[in-house]
Amino acid sequence: MCKVWNETVLALLRVGGLLAAFIGVAWAQAPAPYRDMDLPMPDYEPHVRGDMRLSKTYPYWRDRSRLDWRLAGDPEENWKLNWKFMDPPFNQSVHGGHFALERGEALYKTLNRDGRFAACLGAGRAGLKGLRTRFPQYRQDLGRVAGLEAVIEHCAAAQGEVLQNGSYDNSAVSLYIASHSQGMPIRIDVSRGPLKEAYERGRQLYHTKAGRLNFACSSCHTRNIGQLVRGSRITTPYGDVTHYPVYRTQYFLQSLHLRMMECNLDTGVQPLLPGSQAYTDLEVFLTALSNGYPVSVPAERN
Amino acid sequence: MRPLVLGGICLCLAGAAQAADWPADAAVDPNAQNRTLTPRVVVNSGRLEWEPHKRDLTPWPTLSHLDRRATPRPQQANYNPPLRGDPARGREIAMDPARGNCIACHTLPGESWPGSVGQLLLGYKQRGVSDAYVYQQIYDRRVTNPNTVMPPFGTLGVLSDQEIRDLTAYVQSLE
Ligand code: HEC
Ligand code: HEC
Repeated sequence: MCKVWNETVLALLRVGGLLAAFIGVAWAQAPAPYRDMDLPMPDYEPHVRGDMRLSKTYPYWRDRSRLDWRLAGDPEENWKLNWKFMDPPFNQSVHGGHFALERGEALYKTLNRDGRFAACLGAGRAGLKGLRTRFPQYRQDLGRVAGLEAVIEHCAAAQGEVLQNGSYDNSAVSLYIASHSQGMPIRIDVSRGPLKEAYERGRQLYHTKAGRLNFACSSCHTRNIGQLVRGSRITTPYGDVTHYPVYRTQYFLQSLHLRMMECNLDTGVQPLLPGSQAYTDLEVFLTALSNGYPVSVPAERN
Repeated sequence: MRPLVLGGICLCLAGAAQAADWPADAAVDPNAQNRTLTPRVVVNSGRLEWEPHKRDLTPWPTLSHLDRRATPRPQQANYNPPLRGDPARGREIAMDPARGNCIACHTLPGESWPGSVGQLLLGYKQRGVSDAYVYQQIYDRRVTNPNTVMPPFGTLGVLSDQEIRDLTAYVQSLE
């Protein structure tokens, strides 16, 4: 009796142990839930010239001082200019982005009274010059890859100030910092380490279908470049990030993550919070596609 | 064998229990009737304000890495004749941005602003395609073309059986 009983207990324990181990392993390595992918993925190059292989419009917009204004006047052709003709220095008039820049300067100077804010952001000897071109980056203090707006939020919080990611004031500070890199090319290295991993995840996400209509970012931004969608012509994803945060009348000041929220909402995808890992991965991917392209702020987009 | 089977069952249950849950990093107000939030930027403020979006999008998969819900795989529709669809109602659904919005991608007669993504949806009256075929294309075109950009309106629960019947009748009426 006793022996049988013991054996049963042992067997149960073994089964239970195995079961627990199995569930543990299954949870830890639970396969990603099924998604439709928009395939094949083009061979994106993490540099702005990669557009030569995608939309082939790069020759029309690579050199801002030599934009062909005849294309700008033609509604069928102006998407080839990547709409950069909307951005300064081509739009010299004062717009909301300039007021945001002033606000950002005032906020920054208050936050940085004792130099702690700049140090937290990672500004070295060169100060703010070139800082914008190195984001997103891996942050030791956060233990993850983060965009400039996420780091601004973090460094402000370290001083007890609330500058939520996506808020007007956060974007204004981001804009002010970016203005010190005006004309300098974006330069992030996605060839190794955490940034490479984020780039790969971002590339996958860009082609992942989601939401009520099962669209991927690439359904529009890669497959339908030059096509009319909701009354706008889709432009290439190359060279997109250098004018962010951007002044938009509807949003006042729109960070890149808020733009992703807008595209999500427009296509029936539940949006994520600014600073979420998925948006940060997409930001790394899009920023890599702007490598080599100069920062251009404050910009205005319709 | 036994632990594997048990494990399988446990995992399925865990999956089902989570199916209703959106990921923690979604912009959602769990207590609102319409849970999806849209951001509102307030000038000269360090806080981001939120407003309810016009539609609750929480039931469908997001891009979040924390989202454990699967996208439903391509599904064969369970279509039973007779069609009993109303082409006039179908046309309304096709033009309505909040429902079918077929006009966003397809060129349809009598619309001044045709989409340029899809293709002409014309000539069905003469083509003699079966109602079941057209119904399936609207219900879930992934069955016919796994890489289609057309949303699987039936499988994702975007349109009801009757709405798809009305659309089928409308498409079949096009000259
Ligand atoms: C239904 C089509 C559609 C989908 C899907 C879509 N977008 Fe967009 N997106 C647009 C349109 C239209 C514009 C405005 C025209 C333009 O800038 O190309 C735009 C603009 C943008 C811009 C601004 C570009 C600039 O230079 O200012 C970004 C960034 C962007 N989208 C990212 C995304 C991301 C990331 C996704 C996926 C989460 C996505 N979009 C999904 C249609 C779409
Ligand atoms: C996002 C764009 C899009 C939307 C929205 C859309 N379609 Fe389509 N549809 C397509 C494309 C593209 C094809 C053909 C190629 C493919 O499958 O990708 C297609 C194919 C079809 C076909 C099959 C044609 C054939 O004879 O094989 C039918 C029928 C159809 N659509 C009806 C509709 C109806 C009805 C609606 C609205 C409820 C609709 N579509 C909405 C893009 C779309």
